[in-house]
Amino acid sequence: NMLTATVKTGGVLNNKYGSFRHNDMIGLKYGSMVKSHDGKGFVYLLHPTPALWTQVVPHRTQILYLPDISFISMYLDLKPGKVVIESGTGSGSFSHSLARTIAPTGHLYTFEYHELRVETAKKEFIEHNLTDIVTIEHRDVLANGFGKVGIADAVFLDLPAPWDAVAAAKEALRRDTIGRVCSFSPCIEQVQRTALALDEHGFADIRMYECLVKDYEVRTLPMPDIEEAINGQKVNFKLNKNDRKKRKLESGANTPTGENGSSSEVMLSKPTDQARGHTSYLTFAILAPEVKN
Amino acid sequence: MIASQLDPTVIKSGDNVIIRMPSTNAKIVTLSPTKSVSLGKFGSFNASELIGKTFGHTYEIEKGGSIVPHTIAGFDSADITEANNKEIVDNPKSQKLTFQEIEQLKTMSLSGDVSAQEIIASLTENNESFDKKTEFSKSKYILRKQRKFMKSFVPLETSVYNLCNYFFEFNPGKIRGIRTDTLSQVLSLANVYSNARILAVDDGQGIIIGALLSRMAAGGQVLGVHDGDVSNYDVIRYMNFTPDTRDRLLTLPWSKLYHNVEPFTEQLAEGASADDKSGRERRLRGHSKLSDTLDNIRRGEFDALVISTNYNPKSVIERLVPYLGGSRMLVVYDQSKDALLETFAWLRQSPDFLNVQLTESWLREYQVLPSRTHPMMNTSGGGGFILSAIHLAPVDKPATSSS
Repeated sequence: NMLTATVKTGGVLNNKYGSFRHNDMIGLKYGSMVKSHDGKGFVYLLHPTPALWTQVVPHRTQILYLPDISFISMYLDLKPGKVVIESGTGSGSFSHSLARTIAPTGHLYTFEYHELRVETAKKEFIEHNLTDIVTIEHRDVLANGFGKVGIADAVFLDLPAPWDAVAAAKEALRRDTIGRVCSFSPCIEQVQRTALALDEHGFADIRMYECLVKDYEVRTLPMPDIEEAINGQKVNFKLNKNDRKKRKLESGANTPTGENGSSSEVMLSKPTDQARGHTSYLTFAILAPEVKN
Repeated sequence: MIASQLDPTVIKSGDNVIIRMPSTNAKIVTLSPTKSVSLGKFGSFNASELIGKTFGHTYEIEKGGSIVPHTIAGFDSADITEANNKEIVDNPKSQKLTFQEIEQLKTMSLSGDVSAQEIIASLTENNESFDKKTEFSKSKYILRKQRKFMKSFVPLETSVYNLCNYFFEFNPGKIRGIRTDTLSQVLSLANVYSNARILAVDDGQGIIIGALLSRMAAGGQVLGVHDGDVSNYDVIRYMNFTPDTRDRLLTLPWSKLYHNVEPFTEQLAEGASADDKSGRERRLRGHSKLSDTLDNIRRGEFDALVISTNYNPKSVIERLVPYLGGSRMLVVYDQSKDALLETFAWLRQSPDFLNVQLTESWLREYQVLPSRTHPMMNTSGGGGFILSAIHLAPVDKPATSSS
């Protein structure tokens, strides 16, 4: 349960947990808890990060999440100083992570063909003080290319027809060192067409990956010796609501001891019931620098 | 318009590079301009030949140790035809060249008298069943022979991705089994940025420390707490870091975490030798460094606490979390989920942490070839687990002192 807010003197934040005065927040450290005006509810004040922004950004398009953002950034060897081209901007989820990774000396040129989405993303980049690092342009890159020649270390394509942008990507990449490209596509047919286009335009080392993250939940449950059943004892295998609440409020406790005695309890983990099955296929390729003889 | 200001990546004398051979074997070499690099049965070349070159090309070893660049091969033109394997029988007599003839070709190849292409052409011409094979099968056959006979290699930069991949494949124990996707998630979760201050414990010989340093610029800092008297961040020495980057790393032995710094009082005796003087200077430098590092860690307010430890993670967190800022991330990596369970339960119950999560990443590569697109037949079984949490601002907690 997270939302963004801009703290202003005299402002008020109202939500289902209560009414929160901005004045109570000013002067507090990030990571502090603030109580509602009537003292019954509370919120935590967190410092914005690209990862948190990805979780709260209003979706104008399907966005990239942390696993793909992370893998792409590392595969493309992104770091402070790199110049990156991104198309399309979409909801700006990846754009925020890119800006953080390449700041303060790098630059992100991001392109979006949908005018309203450009306006929304532009507003966010301004609000988040990213305009030194990020330049957004309203442009149809399939029709008009990027308008950039030999400046980028990496190009990221998140388009329905990325094979039509490969030529523009090649032109925009610098030729004095390895140029890297990544194409993000949900469908295997798109991947195949993109790979062919990359090959035809002289890109090499074409590889494709998918990356998925699984969440685990951990619980402590009884696991008594079968002796108890043989002796006719009744064992409660489910934690009822009160036990769970009691355990949550206990702070600093080590391995929790249970109602059935600590010796018969075990800490168990299992994946969550629902998991991500697919985001997109990540196709990568490199453009070798021109060989000097 | 801002063009990339970063210098093109050019191989320098003394640099480490990863050499990947056609057999898919790889090794890390340090390029000393006067030495030659031996790739076993694939031949040797003069290290000086690579110095001054950029990355992105394959090189073929020629007679005399020189190398010639090629662009890395693209897709073959193989496609579906009428051919199938209905009548192909696995028969060692299919190849008409004798064992001795093939061995002779190999020797001639090593001395540069015959090219790999010529050998492969000989093998395919003399193979009875070659023509019957499907295009894809022919392609696979040639690729197998290329892997065996071609005297070519690809030099790779020792970037975080390439190094992590290399160690994960050839020596996973060294880096505590962290795979590239998991490592990349550690960096994102910790919100590593150019001038962040990060407190780290890395018993994976510095793979994480190196990854953190590679994402930093002026003003950034990594403080590594390690056991023993001297840190073992062996992985870092392969990363060709500049002195500027290496200066961003401070190290502190666990045994000195609660050390009380006394003023440096060592005096030089009358008639001290040059050795005595330099010894005292060395000890003075060590004293200053330790004092500065302790000042740094005790300032607290670190932007992230990143842990990959052989010790009990909960015990490590308890000692170091007082130095972690509010609304800053705790990220703990382990190769095994069980090592993190107790810590997970403790963090979940603690009022000092929010959003406690335990995750595992899965990565699969696909082969993308015309009419032959499918996932790779083999994939890694696991790449480690991450336990992460947002650290909350302490509420009037007493300062931690040594027990």
